[in-house]
Amino acid sequence: MAENAEIVVELRDVVTRFDEKLVHDGISLQVRRGEVLAVVGGSGSGKSTLLREMVMLLQPTAGSVTVLGRDVTAASEIELLPLRRRLGVMFQDGALFGGQTVLENTGVPLREHTELSGDLIDEIAQLKLLLTGLEPSVGALWPNQLSGGMRKRAALARALALDPELLFLDEPSSGLDPISADGLDDLILQLKELLGLTIVMVTHDMDSLWRVADRVVLLGDKRILGAGTMTELSRSVTPGIGKFFSGPRARVAAREHNQGASL
Amino acid sequence: MARPAKAHADGGLVFCDGDWSALHVATAERQLKSIRLAPGEIKIDVSGVERIDSSGAWLLSRTARQWRSKARTVDFVGTSEHIRQLFRLIAEQGIEGEPPRPATHGFLENLGRDSLNAATEQLAFLSFIGNITFSSLRILLTPARLRWSQVVTDAEESGFDALPIVGLLAFLIGVVIAYQGGVVLIQYGAGIFIADLVGLAMLRELAPLITAIIVAGRTGSAYTAQIGTMMVTEEVDALRTMGITPIDLLVLPKLFALVVMLPLLTVFADLMGLLGGMAMASSMLDMSFQNFVDRLGQSVRLQDFLVGVGKAPVFAAIIASVGCYQGFRVTGSAESVGKQTTLSVVQSIFLVIVVDAVFSIVFSALDI
Ligand SMILES: Nc1ncnc2c1ncn2[C@@H]1O[C@H](COP(=O)(O)OP(=O)(O)OP(=O)(O)O)[C@@H](O)[C@H]1O
Ligand SMILES: [Mg+2]
Repeated sequence: MAENAEIVVELRDVVTRFDEKLVHDGISLQVRRGEVLAVVGGSGSGKSTLLREMVMLLQPTAGSVTVLGRDVTAASEIELLPLRRRLGVMFQDGALFGGQTVLENTGVPLREHTELSGDLIDEIAQLKLLLTGLEPSVGALWPNQLSGGMRKRAALARALALDPELLFLDEPSSGLDPISADGLDDLILQLKELLGLTIVMVTHDMDSLWRVADRVVLLGDKRILGAGTMTELSRSVTPGIGKFFSGPRARVAAREHNQGASL
Repeated sequence: MARPAKAHADGGLVFCDGDWSALHVATAERQLKSIRLAPGEIKIDVSGVERIDSSGAWLLSRTARQWRSKARTVDFVGTSEHIRQLFRLIAEQGIEGEPPRPATHGFLENLGRDSLNAATEQLAFLSFIGNITFSSLRILLTPARLRWSQVVTDAEESGFDALPIVGLLAFLIGVVIAYQGGVVLIQYGAGIFIADLVGLAMLRELAPLITAIIVAGRTGSAYTAQIGTMMVTEEVDALRTMGITPIDLLVLPKLFALVVMLPLLTVFADLMGLLGGMAMASSMLDMSFQNFVDRLGQSVRLQDFLVGVGKAPVFAAIIASVGCYQGFRVTGSAESVGKQTTLSVVQSIFLVIVVDAVFSIVFSALDI
């Protein structure tokens, strides 16, 4: 990734506190256009919270967040509206609207923000559903009729509805079988290439860290413990980082990756 | 910013230009639809397209597909590598036919389904009543198994917390009855009977009814929403898998709490209603509190009071069971929580009034 690429998201000295509990204590990071940035860290280390701050659902206690060139910590809700249209968000557990079919769910952003005809919206929604690897007939189902993995895919399809410049994914591959998880990684890479997406994702999946992440940020102890490519981080000797990337699972994923690269 | 997407035809040539991303292709969609095709071969020139995303690409490729289905040859010219990639991505999905929609049914089928649903609904409610009756009896045999702390919490929420609103409304109703009745009674010089009017109306009918209606709106709806939300988040299923019957944990404490609290609230409403009547009588008719209470003692019998308060546990059972039943009927979505909550309030108020009418008939037949 070019060092001088445009910066699309920037956090500066972000502090987050829930009542007494300090979650982030001075986090600064930058997301560059066209990259896949993965945020990793133990459970409860504040990854989802950081994502919520980037997508303007939560105000940090202190510090600033800049999205697509706008300081969103100072902006009002109305000023944020046009900005929000340019991002897609996929929540950790889907957050599909229960009162609408999967097809309708996927078409919601199109229906709200464009004047396209209903037929065309349904077709585009169907295209997005197929793109995420769902069967053609799934569109007619209701969210509570889906399996966990299907729900993830449908949520991703909805996040992609407007072809956003910036895509935020909270644990996209958790709850997927290994083959589907690989498929999702492929899809993310393909979307990045074709649609020029910038992707910020939270993940625990070592395989997808190796395969899709351009850069990885490791959260821990309320701060950023390390940032860099997977190769850099996995060679790091800093205790906190080494531990995270040298567990048995991490080693298997790393070995597979290196074998794949040498073949 | 690029110009919005445009499309216009010139003979067999269709020119497309501007920004073909989802937010800006609405005009182009209409323009493409209104194009009258000249006979012969068609070429779509996309060299003027400045930006395009998958929605725009889909619009182009579905248009080409529609035209091809009218036995035309359609070709794209001036495609950039980016557009070709998007077309390939779309082609790989192999979209065919209409997007799927949930099956819809004809009028007759709907009528049949609705009738069947209505019938099974009645049966399900009856079976729910049976279920809680059975569970209540069982728990009365082993009272230690009832969740008493939950009963106390529920009693506080449904009873104690409702005191201000019940008291205020009962007081106001007492005032209104005394005023409306007083206006007429004074004309006949029968002002003293205002105590009879307020006393009988409040104690026998209005206090129990008003209290039940307030509690149905306040507590019955809360029961439905709480259980309904737990249904959505699979908490009820989680309880079942732990071997805890949702009825024992969720319904019985609420039921017992309300059966105890509603009569107490009714007594409070009786008092506040009489107080309202007394206040009105003293200001409009110069009738002292002492006189009012004396008159009340002559006209109102103990059984009038008991008739009113005695109805309250029945109302409470109706409100709690309808509220909980509708909660368990929630399926899957937030919308359904809202729908069942509305139904719960409407049905419990309806049933309370119907049962009150039945009580009136029975009491008059029994001459109570
Ligand atoms: N609304 C809230 N109120 C209070 N504390 C919160 C709130 N949201 C999150 N937290 C706390 O902040 C911390 C970080 O939570 P967060 O959801 O960001 O974790 P995470 O890194 O996404 O974990 P996981 O990998 O399990 O999803 C947790 O300790 C959590 O208890
Ligand atoms: Mg999380």
